[in-house]
Amino acid sequence: MGERLPLVIYFLSMVNWAQVLFNSSVTGCIYLISAVGLTLTYGLSKFPNFAHAEFMTLGAYAGYFLADQLGLGFPSAFVAAFIASGILGALSYRGIFQPLAKRGASLIHLMVAAIGLGFVIRHFVGELWGWSPRSFKVTWSAFDIGIVRVSDLWLWLIFAALAMAGLMHLLLTKTKIGKAIRGTSSNPELALASGVNINRVTLVTWLVGAALAGIAGLFRGAGTRLSPMLGWDILLPTFAVTILGGIGSFYGAIAAAFIIGLAENIGVVFLTSFGISTEYRMAIAFLILIITLILRPGGLARMFR
Amino acid sequence: MEEALLRIREIRKNFGGLRAVDGVSLDVAAGSTTGLVGPNGSGKTTLFNIVFGIHKADKGSVYFNDESISHLAPHEVYARGLVNAFQLPRLFYRLTVLDNMLLAARGHKGDSFVNSLALRQEWQEQEMKLADKAMELLELLELDHLSLHPAAELSGGQRKLLEIGRALVSEPTLLLLDEPAAGINPNLGRRIFEKIETFRQKGLSFFIIEHRVEILLEFAHWIYVMDKGKIAVEGKPEEIVNNPTFYQVYFGEA
Amino acid sequence: MDPLIYILDIIVFVGIFAIVALSLNLEYGFAGLGNFGKVAFFLTGAYTYALLSQIGLPFFLCLIIAALISASIGFLISLSALRLREDYLAIVTLTFGEILRLVVKAEHWIAGGVWGITMPSAISWAGASPRMMAAANIGLVYFCLILGFILVQLVSNSPYGRVLRAIREDETAAEALGKDRFKYKAQAFMLGSGLAGLGGGLFAQYLRFIDPYMFLPTVTFSVWIMVIIGGPANNWGALLGATLVELFSRGTRILKDYLLVPIDPNNLQYILFGLLIVFILLYRPQGLLKESQVKTKALEVISRWKKHS
Repeated sequence: MGERLPLVIYFLSMVNWAQVLFNSSVTGCIYLISAVGLTLTYGLSKFPNFAHAEFMTLGAYAGYFLADQLGLGFPSAFVAAFIASGILGALSYRGIFQPLAKRGASLIHLMVAAIGLGFVIRHFVGELWGWSPRSFKVTWSAFDIGIVRVSDLWLWLIFAALAMAGLMHLLLTKTKIGKAIRGTSSNPELALASGVNINRVTLVTWLVGAALAGIAGLFRGAGTRLSPMLGWDILLPTFAVTILGGIGSFYGAIAAAFIIGLAENIGVVFLTSFGISTEYRMAIAFLILIITLILRPGGLARMFR
Repeated sequence: MEEALLRIREIRKNFGGLRAVDGVSLDVAAGSTTGLVGPNGSGKTTLFNIVFGIHKADKGSVYFNDESISHLAPHEVYARGLVNAFQLPRLFYRLTVLDNMLLAARGHKGDSFVNSLALRQEWQEQEMKLADKAMELLELLELDHLSLHPAAELSGGQRKLLEIGRALVSEPTLLLLDEPAAGINPNLGRRIFEKIETFRQKGLSFFIIEHRVEILLEFAHWIYVMDKGKIAVEGKPEEIVNNPTFYQVYFGEA
Repeated sequence: MDPLIYILDIIVFVGIFAIVALSLNLEYGFAGLGNFGKVAFFLTGAYTYALLSQIGLPFFLCLIIAALISASIGFLISLSALRLREDYLAIVTLTFGEILRLVVKAEHWIAGGVWGITMPSAISWAGASPRMMAAANIGLVYFCLILGFILVQLVSNSPYGRVLRAIREDETAAEALGKDRFKYKAQAFMLGSGLAGLGGGLFAQYLRFIDPYMFLPTVTFSVWIMVIIGGPANNWGALLGATLVELFSRGTRILKDYLLVPIDPNNLQYILFGLLIVFILLYRPQGLLKESQVKTKALEVISRWKKHS
């Protein structure tokens, strides 16, 4: 390690930190969009939905189908991803998780069912589109803003994340259903007593949450490649955001998404400069996840109440 | 007064801003049935939980047989012969009534992993003795015919009896009972207290929270009345019934 | 392919996964621990075996050490993870499995990274035909399985096993009856991890080649299906579940290879597995076999009492 140090310092001095910062916010934006749905359904239904990964995967492929295979252009992919994943989420809740909960299924049973559902969707996608990776035909133009290299796609992503954050904020604070979601999440008995239709609130949450997962999957697919493992590959970082932000906390998730985005991108710089495999990029989020769970399972949420 | 088996000194406990127990001191005499009454929210169950180690007190100490048990975890308190029966029975519902009873045995050799494999002969013998004792108790509690049924099949009253029976298997010195007669029909409630009395005569001591004050007055030797986290009155049952403070605390009128 | 070899191969796999299913059954079925990272301990056993056999240790020593190392890792995990809520435990164990796979994938020096690692054959002698080799493997695997089965049967039919079930039902109440729940959970987790490590060792020994792609979370999931289908808290159920799941997964491959069904067998297998598990959780959550009773001499006492009255 000793003789490597000058090299490390040289390497670090050459890093374009503005670029790292920009990349971090891109990563954070994807995680934010994918985590919002997870944190809301987790907060409301009280179990971690591992099939959230496949909500993302399906969204990406649904978008791919409309935009590339049917040739309707990239904007149509958003509509497809949103609707396909949203419907899938609502159906999953109505068809599987709600009946299970009604039959008094244990937490472990709910989690196993979620994994099972994930397998069905993942391999269904694998059967329809094959297991070899695919890419969107659209090419994104890249250009420089100052010293930072950006692409259309990333600007779209940041715009989408900001728009979603704004809309979700309005939804959660201003609308009746949004207030009901927050109320039910923090105190189901009280919400029930004050006349909230919990079934409907939960269904809407699953629908919106899954639809957002679909959008996240679409961006991930467009930015990298599509594969049936697409969602699974970012599921655990998404969990890291959810847990770090505090389960059920939308605002916590915003902060956590950017913390994880930063940690990952700065981490990659250090991994490379120390000559460690960048395969460990994911391990950074994994470690944050485990450490949060063990040391501070409430996450950051207390700061946002 | 006889020697105190359990001594509680200056116990305080806050939950958030709420003062649940506010400087309680009391004694439970060996061989007695001691009652603890008071309106809902007066801190009775919290006090029990502190004695048993489920909650930690902010201040004060608890002595059992002259040993401080304030810092012990429930399983350590249990090992010393101070046993708690919950207000809402917490049975192992998918296990049989017999298994529920056997689980409560103290110092069962087969409870440890290594011994369960190494000392089979020994714990099997112990197991048979315990099963005999459990059946005797179950017979007394009129549950013996259900010994091999899952606890989930019991009625509300039977669950209550099993909770108490389970506590008795461990051959405790002192039993904390939280509302043994609540939520069951009055006749059964009285019968439970009669059974408690037979065990007391065999040398056990009882510390009992009970809302059915009329039954408690009949069986207890000493009664503490708790209100707003403090002991408001104490005395023999016949003194308590004539004490105006008791009525004030209990029925909100003088 | 020689059909007899094919059948012998299935029998070996049933045996290996039966051991892993027994280990999850001990953790989940009896002690109620949701270990969603079973594959991590399977992986540990397999890689330990592979590395030790390469330096020339005899196979039985490799197997024993594989089990011990998995058990120790299980113990380390249990120190912090077992105090967590059920869902957090699930996420932590799942993540742990992924981290471990990431490590063996990225660190080529450990065991060849993505290219995997081959090891010498443990069981071979001059003039051994493939059939004889397969039969010898069956002997080894089923010897381990029988030992493992006897162990878990002894454990679950003892006062210790009764305490595990009690902790599964209500850990606060168990603590109130004098049981140190963390000690019990940690022991169950350790024992389960050791058994899973043994399974992993046998897996590596049999295949003589392993790579990180054999240790995807799908392995964990398959084992969960085995336990839930067979019936949690019943060791016979774990054996039954392992047999059914293994036969089922071979069945989907036969569909493809011999009946030319135009669907990828892997996809078909996991789609059906997924549907099956959801269906079972909805309509028969207790599995095929009922939870077994704690069988000790206490039951003899009861039958004597019943005769008297």
